[in-house]
Amino acid sequence: MAPRPDTIVALATPPGRGALAVVRLSGPRTAELFRTVAPAWRGPARPREPLLVALADGGRSLPLDRALATFFPEPRSYTGEEMVEISTHGGSLVPALLIEALERAGARPAAPGEFTKRAYLNGKLDLVQAEGIGDLVEARSEASHRAAVQQMEGGLSKMVAALRDRLLALEVLLAYHVDFPEEDDPPVPVGRIVAEGEALAGDLRRLLKRAPEGEMLREGALAVLAGRPNSGKSSLFNALLGVERAIVTDEPGTTRDALEAGCSMEGYPFRLVDTAGIREGGGRVERLGIEVAKRYLASAEVVLLCLPLGWMWGEEEAFLAGLEEDTPVVLLRTKADEGSEADGARPDLPAASPRAGRRIHRTIPVSVRDGRGLSELRRCLAGLVFRGFVAVGGVVEPVLTRRRQASAVRRALDEVEAFVRSLRGGVPAEFAATHLRSAETALEELLGILSPEDVLDRVFAEYCVGK
Amino acid sequence: MRTDLAFGSYDVIVVGGGHAGVEASAAAARMGARTLLVTPDLARVGQMSCNPAIGGVAKGVVAREVDALGGVMGRATDATRIHFRMLNRSKGPAVWGPRAQCDRGLYPRAVRGILDELPTLDLFQEMVTAIAVEDGRRIAGVTTRGGLSFRAPAVVITAGTFLRGRIHIGGEAAVEAGRAAEAPSVALAQALEEMGLEVARFKTGTPPRVDGRSVDFTRVEVQAGDPMAYRFSAYRREEIPEQRECWITWTGPELRRIIEGNLSRSALYGGEISGRGPRYCPSIEDKVVKFPAARRHQVFLEPEGLETTELYVNGLSTSLPADVQRAFLRTIPGLEKARITKVGYAIEYDYFPPHQLHHTLELREIRGLFFAGQINGTTGYEEAAAQGLVAGANAAAKSLSRPPFVLERDQAYIGVLIDDLVTRGVDEPYRLFTSRAEFRLLLRQDNVVARLGPVARGAGLLTGAQEAALEVALRERAEVREWFGRTRLSPDVVNSLRDAPSGEAVSEACRAEELLRRPEFGARALAVAGRAPFRDRTGLLHAVEVEVKYEGYVRRERERAARLRDQAEFHLPEQAPYAEFVTLSAEAREKLARIRPASLAQAGRVPGVSPADLQNLVMEVRRWRSASRRTGLAGQ
Repeated sequence: MAPRPDTIVALATPPGRGALAVVRLSGPRTAELFRTVAPAWRGPARPREPLLVALADGGRSLPLDRALATFFPEPRSYTGEEMVEISTHGGSLVPALLIEALERAGARPAAPGEFTKRAYLNGKLDLVQAEGIGDLVEARSEASHRAAVQQMEGGLSKMVAALRDRLLALEVLLAYHVDFPEEDDPPVPVGRIVAEGEALAGDLRRLLKRAPEGEMLREGALAVLAGRPNSGKSSLFNALLGVERAIVTDEPGTTRDALEAGCSMEGYPFRLVDTAGIREGGGRVERLGIEVAKRYLASAEVVLLCLPLGWMWGEEEAFLAGLEEDTPVVLLRTKADEGSEADGARPDLPAASPRAGRRIHRTIPVSVRDGRGLSELRRCLAGLVFRGFVAVGGVVEPVLTRRRQASAVRRALDEVEAFVRSLRGGVPAEFAATHLRSAETALEELLGILSPEDVLDRVFAEYCVGK
Repeated sequence: MRTDLAFGSYDVIVVGGGHAGVEASAAAARMGARTLLVTPDLARVGQMSCNPAIGGVAKGVVAREVDALGGVMGRATDATRIHFRMLNRSKGPAVWGPRAQCDRGLYPRAVRGILDELPTLDLFQEMVTAIAVEDGRRIAGVTTRGGLSFRAPAVVITAGTFLRGRIHIGGEAAVEAGRAAEAPSVALAQALEEMGLEVARFKTGTPPRVDGRSVDFTRVEVQAGDPMAYRFSAYRREEIPEQRECWITWTGPELRRIIEGNLSRSALYGGEISGRGPRYCPSIEDKVVKFPAARRHQVFLEPEGLETTELYVNGLSTSLPADVQRAFLRTIPGLEKARITKVGYAIEYDYFPPHQLHHTLELREIRGLFFAGQINGTTGYEEAAAQGLVAGANAAAKSLSRPPFVLERDQAYIGVLIDDLVTRGVDEPYRLFTSRAEFRLLLRQDNVVARLGPVARGAGLLTGAQEAALEVALRERAEVREWFGRTRLSPDVVNSLRDAPSGEAVSEACRAEELLRRPEFGARALAVAGRAPFRDRTGLLHAVEVEVKYEGYVRRERERAARLRDQAEFHLPEQAPYAEFVTLSAEAREKLARIRPASLAQAGRVPGVSPADLQNLVMEVRRWRSASRRTGLAGQ
């Protein structure tokens, strides 16, 4: 007799005080183990119907709690196994005691993500969908949420499956070309195969192009506030977050360490960082803070350079030249309510620092006091970092959100490009076709499926063959 | 054993003398087993019941693989071919398909001659009607219609389309028959079914044949053969007969109208035939119905032999009545006055779904009983021959207590064929295509001897003469490779070889092998320029050229094959209790329990088994192994 998989248990809601806590139990011994904590439970009248049950408290006469238990018979549950979800009253003690009792009865504490892993292994969802569920739980902005839901609902899987389907279609052309040389239909011209290969490469490239933005949807784009001491960075940080996170004073050098906080701008996720003002001198702690600021600047997706309206461009802004070549900089003329209109929106960029000046993507006068420029700034940031999404009005189609996904698509693209190159270079089709097979494998690995032998099926459906 | 009651006693008995039976009995005999071939008509061993042609894309490679393993087919083809073409010549060398039209009458005689050379092979003419099974699980022998019994611990059944065969010609009552004008095997079919084997039905068709004297050859296109002395056989040079031409003509709208108007009289479309037929070899009814947009269909007129005027009308297989066949033939240019010599017909027959077999082609349920050929749901002479060879070799191995003979998917098309049959099963008559092989770059017609010769020698499948020929072939190949690796050609010679515009002129001596890698140089030209001693060995030079030119691709393919082998090495025990592996999907449990793959790689090719299933399968098997080890210890 083969041992069966074990039965796992875990708290599904965050620990701590709350109205409800949900404990999940999944595996072949679910009903048996649940009965040890709910002796009166005789199984559900109907599957997936919640029932009120008394949870036993060891041998005591008073129950541990009254809970609502929903029983899911195999395979129609989240994990695909027999499963029960127990909603107890919230708090720390009741769920902890319940889980302890279930573990004593023979359940094993679940590893992180194990319920979803079982769902994948039981074929309830593919790998990309499972990743979508993880993203959904972590989503902090509207756009991240949309991307995650699309993945969970199978949108990305379908798109990748469609690309794989087109690879198969190319193989079908080749199979016809190679295996049926004496048929009614004329041979497929190599030019047509090359053209299809190029079209496919184009679509893979497009999917891949959005991948960096997609990855930022999950992690949030790093936007770093920088500038001289007392240029209003912390005020702006607080204003953009909508809470007083950073301490703001008139004293230059107030912010020593870097502060990081997640926020959503125009529905896109950002990680906003307030840094120590950059200047020479200062104390040891401040110098360390400046080092931290420089590290953040090196990995920033966008830099928000603060320079109060009316201040002149100076040596202090020279650090811009040291940024990564493609990091955009938004110049914020802070304290715009204090400066005069005559100072204008354009700072005087000294001829000495044209290289730094060229990095400036846009200049926006802002004021945390009267709120001017803030919504323009939010729009500007969203449009700058999530350019691709904003251009088409949001996350309207599935997008790659993980490095694993992007690297599989990259491998597929490399192979398709090699395929086209080989055919163009006069390599016979059956040799070039090895690249197609590798490309298929890459996409199949992405979805977690194996290749069925359906190339020939399609040849027969599409061509009249049969000498 | 009560041998006194048996008419004869052998190591291996082969039932049936078609292409599978011929290769099975010859392979067993070459391995030294005392072998008996029993078949109803000894004048028809190796009969070509359909098109008298051997080879084609993928199939031609199989014919050469059978030959490299010591088989009969290659020699018989060389000795009787009257038309030859290398298909796919305009494409890459990895998919070239040698195809020969043979003389239908001469071929069986050539086969018979080759069989007669084998000292341990006996032939016996009679129909087998029963098989003897001991303890319900082990084969003991066979009994003929006349009541004679023969005993053997290994029996190969190659019954072709004879098992409960029924021939349909539209509008007429179906006739019980194994092939045209030959009796079917009903008793044997029943005997096999009674052993509890799963049985199913397929159909296939043939076209009409016409008298060449009634064909107007001014209205058809000539298809000349390739004037090359290509040989299928690597070990023996047969005399190639004089060559004939083939012809091509086309169907038109008038034929479509006639067929559409008579569909109800077709046995295929009138509902009289239930089994599935091959999609790649559709009847003309199928072509007209399924491809309404096609304006015309190609028709090949192929000579049946040197001394007959009969032509095989390839492309028009049908189950319509004779009068309709005559009517549609007369709409075809060149055939306006054609006289039919044999009407086309459809045949349906029993086959035994091949998932009931091991990779040795031995039945899982009955030890010592092997199936090969169309009985396993395949079509084609080459596919049948390949299975016959493998079944015969394994039957002999079983009797002589030698290790089983199994070819892998990256080793031979034969390996692909048998693995597909056993692990995937069939849902239409199975034929090989290059697209079925993941490693077709390795499985070429030009490298069969290097690929399979040593394997055949190791398995004892070669006669002494074949072994000697193999030694020579391998040595010559090594010499050619070595020459290209060592010879340097001077810049003058190299530059004289290239056309002026292509590539840059070289300024120093180059190794011949390096030059061969470039697209503008061919092996033959380099060998001639370098005055190589083997410069006129065209086939050998071609093989080396392919090997060197596409080495990068072939290496990639080898690496993929190696990766797959690693995966394949996870062994799945025969007695694994799949029903208890609850982490597998219900579909996977059911399929795996039925097919019982020997390795994880095979399990992965079973339709309906997902990667998640494979992952879980590894876990389940490991747990089950350790659990059964524990219970084993507890019992001591």
